[in-house]
Amino acid sequence: MVSVDYELRKKVMDAHIHDALKYCYQCGRCTDVCPVSRVAPERYNPRANIMLSFLGLNIFKGQQNNFAIWGCTVCDTCDEICPQKIELTEIFAVLKNMSIAAGEGPDYYTTQASAIYDAGKAIPSQAAIERRREQLGLPKIEEPNVEEVQKILNATKLNTILKK
Amino acid sequence: MTEYKMFQGCTIGNRIPFLEASARKVFDKLGITTSEAAFSCCPDPVGFNSVDHESWLAMGARNLTIAEDEKKDIISLCNGCFQTLKMVNTELLHNEHEKSKVNKILGQIGREFKGTINVKHFVEVLHDIGAEKIKEMMSKELNGMKVACHTGCHYNRPSEIMQTDDPFKPKKLRAIVSATGAIPVDYEEETLCCGAGVGNAEEEPAMQVLANKLKSAKAAGAEALIVNCPACFQQFDTNQKKAEKLAGEAFNMPILYVTELLALAFGEKADDIGLKFHRTRTNQLLEKYNIA
Repeated sequence: MVSVDYELRKKVMDAHIHDALKYCYQCGRCTDVCPVSRVAPERYNPRANIMLSFLGLNIFKGQQNNFAIWGCTVCDTCDEICPQKIELTEIFAVLKNMSIAAGEGPDYYTTQASAIYDAGKAIPSQAAIERRREQLGLPKIEEPNVEEVQKILNATKLNTILKK
Repeated sequence: MTEYKMFQGCTIGNRIPFLEASARKVFDKLGITTSEAAFSCCPDPVGFNSVDHESWLAMGARNLTIAEDEKKDIISLCNGCFQTLKMVNTELLHNEHEKSKVNKILGQIGREFKGTINVKHFVEVLHDIGAEKIKEMMSKELNGMKVACHTGCHYNRPSEIMQTDDPFKPKKLRAIVSATGAIPVDYEEETLCCGAGVGNAEEEPAMQVLANKLKSAKAAGAEALIVNCPACFQQFDTNQKKAEKLAGEAFNMPILYVTELLALAFGEKADDIGLKFHRTRTNQLLEKYNIA
């Protein structure tokens, strides 16, 4: 029994300017050009993701690392090829944001976001690399203002998502 | 003289700084001046935007305000940083609703996004300087070196926003490479992704994408792959062995960031730009073309 997830439907519609998503006629050009569909056709299909999002059929819930959404490599090729100018990658970001908020994304994503929250950088500075920079004659990296970063991320409530 | 704010990003700055060494040497020769700023992570358009779009917008906007304070455009050494900063800049410039939401957040730290600067990818800047100027600075011709150009996804897609180059037939990297005497080969998978994004979720499909890419470049006779993004660089350089294992085929493909190729053509020593830090060996290629 599949039920309609109205929150999902509202979110994908809101995310997309002028509701262009409605004009998807399921031609499948997105899947034709998708590099991930090519290597994992049974597991990742952008055309199906658009159809399910539009209908509000949230089959993405309930898996820690759901390849049906997290398989997207964010190459933006589908956006570029879509004859209806649907920005598919934007819709997929909505699905991914919902997955993370439900505590379900691959660890990589929350680990990286956590580093950004703590240090202001996805890859914080390390002594060995600082020495290498010096050897290569490179200037020191100026450290970001972490306090400002955290104020912003508390305002967007990322701290709650990351359990900070 | 235009001075840009340097945005090397986390990967180059704090993991593979040798790419920055070559970029700075090339910029100096070509008269591109830059200065530092205390930028945070861009943040990553693949990782962070997938976690929370609103946080991604606000953090990107904060970085833009730092450059706005100095009234200077940003030059990015990384496709990911470039895409984030350009997309956030464009989205906030054209969407009053999002802009006011983001500015309400930035107000808490006494900042405001105004939309007064531009964001440039370094390949655009090099291309604007032009092949003639590049040729003037050269002390070594790389005549006949067959290379596969890989611009990577976030350099020019989505093209409606990025406005950098043709989304399916990018020309600028090829033009820069051609100036050195190297020959960009035509290969079927030129616009194929390096596979780094899907690798965040699962390794094997990422290695399959990578193998597809390298196979195609190899089949077209490329002796090296030229990139303009540190994430693509790492995928090709660090993970090539894994892709070879999966494909059951040796690629032995040296990977060069485009400013490494230019630095070598300008007579820089391989040691001074840290080529020894590459995982894939470049020795044979350098010997063949008599490059130090």
